[in-house]
Amino acid sequence: MKILTTVKKVVDVELNIHVENGAIVEKGLQYVINAWDENAVEAAVQLKEAHKAETTLVSLGSTDNTDIIRKCYAMGIDNAIHIDDPALAKADSPTFAKVLQKVYEAGDYDLVIAGKQAQDTDAGQAGIMLGEFLGIPCVSNVIEIKVTDDTHIQVSRLGDAGTEIVDVTLPAVVTVSDSINEPRLPAMRGIMMAKKKKITVMDLAGLGTSFEEIGGTAPASEIVEFLPTQKRKGGQKFEGDPAEITAKVVQLLVNEAKVL
Amino acid sequence: MSPLFMTLVLAVGLAIFGRTMYQRILLLMALEPADRFNHIKDRLKNLVVIALGQKRLVGRKKERASGIMHALIFWGFCVLLIRSITLYGEGYVHGFQLPLLGESSILGYLYIALKDIMEGVVLLMVIYAFYRRMVVKPPRLHNTWEAYLVLGLIGILMVSDLLYDGSRFMLITAHGNPGDLHFFNNPTFGQEFLWTPVTIAAGNVISGFSPVGLERVMVLMFWVHIITQLTFLNLLPLGKHFHVITSLPNVFLKHLGYPHEKIKLLDLEDESVWEDETLGVNHLYQLNWKQGLDLYTCTECGRCKEVCPTYVTDKPLNLHDFNDTLKAELYANADNLILRAKLAKTLTGDDEADAKIKEKMAVFKPEKALVGEVIALDTLWACTTCRACEQVCPVTIEHVPRIIAMRQGQTLMQGQYPEELNTAFKGLERNGNPWGIGYDKRADWAEGLDVKLMADDPNVEYLLWVGCAGSFDDRTQKVSKALVKILKAAGVDFAILGTEEKCTGDFARRAGNEMMYQMMATENIEVLNGYKVKKIIAACPHCLNTLKHDYPQMGGHYEVIHHTDFINQLIAEGKIRVKKSLAGVLTYHDPCYLGRYNEIYDAPRSILGGLSNQGLSELPRHGTESFCCGAGGGRMWMEETIGSRINVERSKEIVAENAETVAVGCPFCLTMIEDGMKELDKDEQVKTRDIAELVAEHLA
Repeated sequence: MKILTTVKKVVDVELNIHVENGAIVEKGLQYVINAWDENAVEAAVQLKEAHKAETTLVSLGSTDNTDIIRKCYAMGIDNAIHIDDPALAKADSPTFAKVLQKVYEAGDYDLVIAGKQAQDTDAGQAGIMLGEFLGIPCVSNVIEIKVTDDTHIQVSRLGDAGTEIVDVTLPAVVTVSDSINEPRLPAMRGIMMAKKKKITVMDLAGLGTSFEEIGGTAPASEIVEFLPTQKRKGGQKFEGDPAEITAKVVQLLVNEAKVL
Repeated sequence: MSPLFMTLVLAVGLAIFGRTMYQRILLLMALEPADRFNHIKDRLKNLVVIALGQKRLVGRKKERASGIMHALIFWGFCVLLIRSITLYGEGYVHGFQLPLLGESSILGYLYIALKDIMEGVVLLMVIYAFYRRMVVKPPRLHNTWEAYLVLGLIGILMVSDLLYDGSRFMLITAHGNPGDLHFFNNPTFGQEFLWTPVTIAAGNVISGFSPVGLERVMVLMFWVHIITQLTFLNLLPLGKHFHVITSLPNVFLKHLGYPHEKIKLLDLEDESVWEDETLGVNHLYQLNWKQGLDLYTCTECGRCKEVCPTYVTDKPLNLHDFNDTLKAELYANADNLILRAKLAKTLTGDDEADAKIKEKMAVFKPEKALVGEVIALDTLWACTTCRACEQVCPVTIEHVPRIIAMRQGQTLMQGQYPEELNTAFKGLERNGNPWGIGYDKRADWAEGLDVKLMADDPNVEYLLWVGCAGSFDDRTQKVSKALVKILKAAGVDFAILGTEEKCTGDFARRAGNEMMYQMMATENIEVLNGYKVKKIIAACPHCLNTLKHDYPQMGGHYEVIHHTDFINQLIAEGKIRVKKSLAGVLTYHDPCYLGRYNEIYDAPRSILGGLSNQGLSELPRHGTESFCCGAGGGRMWMEETIGSRINVERSKEIVAENAETVAVGCPFCLTMIEDGMKELDKDEQVKTRDIAELVAEHLA
């Protein structure tokens, strides 16, 4: 079985993100692997360990992703491709999905495992669109993957009311939830040894396409402006006699908040 | 007596002993190098105080009786060593005497008197030791057959020598010395037996014997003594009594300066170390010879486990078993280790030729994995690195560096470590703190306090090193604020690094993650040296220890002072004044990295004494024998799932002292003890406070 996993580098959302004049302030930001993609990599490596599988990672972007790719190598990924093209800086979800489609078609993959969304945009579209563009089954929000035979897998999908068990015919795309696994922190030895492994880097031309061909020049959506998160206003504190306060609070809830 | 028989006995006894010792020494030489032959003067001082003076045996109040017992047996043996030489001489020459110690000198007389008394004393101590083992049964002791055998042999040695002298005395004084036996007789100092009361007593026991009987007893006892002694000598290297031979050198060779061997700065850039698994201790042969000597020397006295926070809370780390297991493994693989070391010496540095040698060397790998099979993972990860074990070890065994080196092997090479550490490591990697909170929030606690940043004023006298807990943990932020209040009141010129500060890497290093540690250290040192920082006030003993002792290895040299030490100085210099108005019972919990690692015991006590209106009440386990809170050595970031909780055990001790306030000087201790009090539902009665908070509240 050949597995393709997708990895994106995103802004570390643990940091305060400042917005000025409709754009994100780059200073002080740092970039990390998207958490859900780490789950995807872990899922792929676990399948590899349990069954005979070859795992390939693809990362897209206009950034140097060597650090995160090396880590994925240390986790146990076999091959890595990085599509590095400055044009991708302005790409939207369908464009990314088109790039992934090209990567998929260049290989001979049975299964694509992607994170269900990226921490920066929370769009959650690229994986599903890839399934659509390829015309193969796609299951989202997956929390377990079991291999049935060479051409079938059974996945558990976390729904609103419970878990769905889905039999899927390969090739297919699954997007995984963070509850599927706890990604391993690779041994330092693995990270050091991964320095020797080769990362295939290519631009869109190298992939045999162009930004225009995949629809990048006529995007379906465009980011117009970033706005800072509104800070929550502090609550009101009341001190004094409990009976008086209660009356006051009730009055405020009725007249001002209008919830009663 | 009989030169022929003496020669035979000595030849056999010494040949077997020599062979055993040769094997033991070869085995040590097969291990990794360690530099322990410098600073001879300091080493001799340790030898005199710790080994000859028996400081850790006699010096501990709690163990004084058994300590004195051991010391007397040891000193008795030292005295009797000279006597043994005389006896071996007697085998060849009738009336053999040592120069200076013969009958012509007062020294000779003083010596026989001392020898006589010490024999009696040692015999009494042996009886006491039997009583302790059989009746008192202290829980720390392993009651093995070897212990009884050795005690028995010591008893036989004393009794045989006393009866030998006793029969000689009877023959000479009561029967007119029929065999013309030799004895000291000097006109000034009188006859030998005037100086030997114990011998006379022994003689009286056999006074009923006929001259022929006495003569037989004398000859028999002589040979019993000689043969017992040589048997004893040959038994020593086989078991825990090897310490009789190795403890003096072991103490002499102990690490100097820092309390134990510093964690080795590993060269992580060298690719071959990753391929050859040479980082940390993954295999027996990666121990250094001093660590091997430590194992030879372990006496299995059990003092280490008795003070170990993990053992007393039912975790699987039992240090004397740990040592014993490693020693047994070392002996079992001795031949292979020696052969492997021989091959290693033939390595040329040429890759191709070396590959073949390395292939051959691999054959001599022990069958069992050192960690996982010989030593269980739970055992290795239980240690809090508190050093209580090392502090009490009478023969100065360094347990902690060995444990950390084995953890390095696990973390760097095998990737085998408690899963919970993942989150903390990841936090460190991304945001420079184990919680993984955004690094840009590091100085948020100081908002509105008007604290300078190094970036704004790099010329300040002191850098205040806040630490991760002081920066991010809600509770410890209050300590940081209190400290700022004190420094401002004293007019200290200081600044913080703000978002440029990162975790020192202490916990990563002690959890064996040298790579993460070096990452943190490199970045911090770059920032510190960039600002030309000279003096640092550290608000955490772990930061203090790392900045002060670990960073110099990587080019970071600073004068580092802990905040309690600094506050104490401010008070002493009159820069701040405090009110002596703290009411209620106040006690102090010594943090391990402040006390045992950095020997700061007095400053906190001096401050607290000046605050409390009824003085400081000490906990039963305090000072050098303080009991760990359970958070050191990276344990802060691991789950404690086995046995009872260490922090609760310590909190119980504090509650039992009826303390109303327990002072600490470490953010980990603060968290652990406060949590312990909550667990016991005593957090309302007993307040856990950092010394800085108490001082800030009592500023006059």
